[in-house]
Amino acid sequence: MTDHVTLTIDERTVTVPKGTGLVETAQAAGIEIPVFCYEPRLGPPVGACRMCLVEIEGMPKLQAGCTLTAQEGMVVRTARTSPLASEGQNSTLEFILVNHPLDCPVCDKGGECPLQDLTFRYGPGNTRMTFDKRTQEKPIPLSPTIALDRERCILCYRCTRFSESVSEDNDLVPLNRGANTVIGTFEDQPYRSRFSGNVVELCPVGALTSTQYRFEARPWDIQESPSVCGLCPVGCNISATTREGKVKRIQSRNHPQIDEGWLCDKGRFTYGHLTAADRIKTPLLKGEAGFEPLEWDDALDQAETLLRAGGDTVVTAFSGTESTEQAYALGRLLRAGLGANGAVLPEEIPTALDAYRAPLSSIRDATTIVILTRDLVADRAPIVDLWVKAARRNGATILTEIPEEKLEDAVLISDNAAHAAWLAQDIDAKSAFYLPRTPNGRGVADAWSAAGDGEASNEEPRVVIVSGDDAAADPAVRALAAGADFVIGIGLFQESFEGLADLVLPATSYLERDGTTVNLEGRVQRQRRAVIAPCPDELAWISKLAERFEVEVSPHASLAFEEISGRIYGGVSFAEIGEQAPLPPAAEKGAPVPAPKPVQVPVADGLRVIRYRPLFSGPVVDRVPEVEFQKADHEVGMNPADARERGVIDGDMVTVNSRGNFHRFKARIVRDLPAGTVRLSTYAEGDLTEFVAVRK
Amino acid sequence: MGVALFEKIQEIRAIYPEGTQSALLPALRLAQEEYGWLSPDALREVADALDVTPAVCKSVASFYDQFHLEPVGEHLVEVCTNVSCALYGAQQVLEAFQDELGCRAGETSDDGKVTLSTIECLGGCGWGTIVAVDHHYRTGVKPEDAAAIVKELS
Repeated sequence: MTDHVTLTIDERTVTVPKGTGLVETAQAAGIEIPVFCYEPRLGPPVGACRMCLVEIEGMPKLQAGCTLTAQEGMVVRTARTSPLASEGQNSTLEFILVNHPLDCPVCDKGGECPLQDLTFRYGPGNTRMTFDKRTQEKPIPLSPTIALDRERCILCYRCTRFSESVSEDNDLVPLNRGANTVIGTFEDQPYRSRFSGNVVELCPVGALTSTQYRFEARPWDIQESPSVCGLCPVGCNISATTREGKVKRIQSRNHPQIDEGWLCDKGRFTYGHLTAADRIKTPLLKGEAGFEPLEWDDALDQAETLLRAGGDTVVTAFSGTESTEQAYALGRLLRAGLGANGAVLPEEIPTALDAYRAPLSSIRDATTIVILTRDLVADRAPIVDLWVKAARRNGATILTEIPEEKLEDAVLISDNAAHAAWLAQDIDAKSAFYLPRTPNGRGVADAWSAAGDGEASNEEPRVVIVSGDDAAADPAVRALAAGADFVIGIGLFQESFEGLADLVLPATSYLERDGTTVNLEGRVQRQRRAVIAPCPDELAWISKLAERFEVEVSPHASLAFEEISGRIYGGVSFAEIGEQAPLPPAAEKGAPVPAPKPVQVPVADGLRVIRYRPLFSGPVVDRVPEVEFQKADHEVGMNPADARERGVIDGDMVTVNSRGNFHRFKARIVRDLPAGTVRLSTYAEGDLTEFVAVRK
Repeated sequence: MGVALFEKIQEIRAIYPEGTQSALLPALRLAQEEYGWLSPDALREVADALDVTPAVCKSVASFYDQFHLEPVGEHLVEVCTNVSCALYGAQQVLEAFQDELGCRAGETSDDGKVTLSTIECLGGCGWGTIVAVDHHYRTGVKPEDAAAIVKELS
């Protein structure tokens, strides 16, 4: 038992692995050591708040329990059995409360506040302070999404440690010293990080609150729905807080293999799209003066007529935002009902990659990571970036070029599926992650293949179905639709389909439906309906429509999933997936994959423009004004060396020009960017050519 | 200007281990020597030279009294107000300087000549009140000495 230690806590004997922290050791013995600042996910403990004081035999003074690890033979007394520790914690709370305002009744944290709870359990029932409390301006907007109340801050440094050691943006910092310390940003600029919202959840008091949730609800009149985020292929586990049938906030629901309890701001703060002004609630028919609402019976008649006109030439363009069941239902309707096997699928994922399947959390333990992506990992799959950063802090080597030799320990991260499948075999990687473009492109592709197996028609499509707002925004899909006689749209927002579709049927958002989604690991996860959609579920009307083509499609997600699962997911049921879905085992390594053709990189004078899709873009983000400040459409990313050559530092305004067109952008130094290139959002000014000059 | 500071900071950076923030304090000092105080732009320059964020520079600079985040006058009068000097009557000394200069601690006199500030222990606890005038210690300063010191500086 050399790898375990046995010690006594409050007269209970407990044996734990060597190196276990005292807080966890006490927990193992069924004893609470209360904490504020302690949070193992933020790196080493800091012992800032002194809430965890314990008495340890042989040590003259009370010790901060969170900073100690269990030792053989240690005798620990917590506040339960030690009057000294109890007195210590009582005094600590008295100190913390010296300047903490008693505004719990109007504080968003009230009712779910660790400071409130621990004061009740360990603190003084009264105050001896007769002087005025220190006051500060409050609340200060830390950003359009986060409010900072400095009076309530107890300086636990959780938020700044998150900024330093997890998201590594280093933009949220402690300022000044000692009693005058405050949390803030450089020159009061908005705290702008893809992950900023996590500090709201980390804050153990009401100092950092969400502006969207502010005064919206109380912990005792809300409900939580366990679900999975549907905005990127990571599939972070979320808990949707609802009150009176409306989503009020999104919080993390820690899945240790996927997200470790972190969310990106896109997943956390964009639920406002559910109530967007142009949300489609009824079927719409193109009339002379734009779209006109249509009764459901008429809409189904219209849809039937159009589909019959299209026959087997109908092509369905998916967004990859559909649930697997929705894609399957559409697939059954079209493939079985019309023999229309043509589809534009957002992803094609070679099965060879399944042999390199691993949980995302395994990235943290990697020794070598090969990242071959055109977009930054953080823009495609934000949480993956946090795992990579954790690995780098652990000493992993990060390579951004194709390695020459075999790397058995390497983890491969790529945004090119075919290339990744080949390279994983070529370097004999330990695991490989393909970062899809869309949240459920993988599940949609699975569903489409499970729904039928005929060949697509060679004829030009007479009818195109555009499923989802992302497909409606895709230039290739729009070009395809332009050649068709009729276009049927299925989507959330009216604007997406204006000038595009003849008939539009309303869609549900991922927060409004039951169903499954497949994340980038290949993990099938369940989304649950948190709120009722303002329109019928897709499965309901697809099922009705399918009846007219003599195809049986279940209106229930669970039954639809059962069918799909029987065909491609080994018969696993809805219930087995549960609230924390397991990862299917890696497949056997298959036949060698042919090497893809190398991509020619053009060379010319100037800096080559790499267009990328920023995290904060797309139809959902466009409808949430609070996250507007996160958009990167007015920024140009530059390599540090290129910037230095031009005397540009981060945050400077620069002029970017090509062939007489010039635009002003804010320069952002991006270390991972190859020299000789600049990064521009696909939504930034479009008249710049592939090579540009940049000057201050 | 900017290029020279960048080069100087690189020299300092080279003598510290890679991947640490050890060079930050000396780099901030260099920037302060260059510009007299650490303006937001000066902090951005230091950040750029060290590959850290301006926020980190501001966090460190605001921790130390020795760094100026506001423009300072030609001369600097720093009054120690820690325990020992407080017992010697540092508060009265500080107030005397405030009266003489017509500005409060942390501010600069109207003519832009003298910046007055309080400072943490200067290590002269046996000879309080300690007042550092342009970084040179005056020991045993009494409120009535303030006028003469201010006159010296004008």
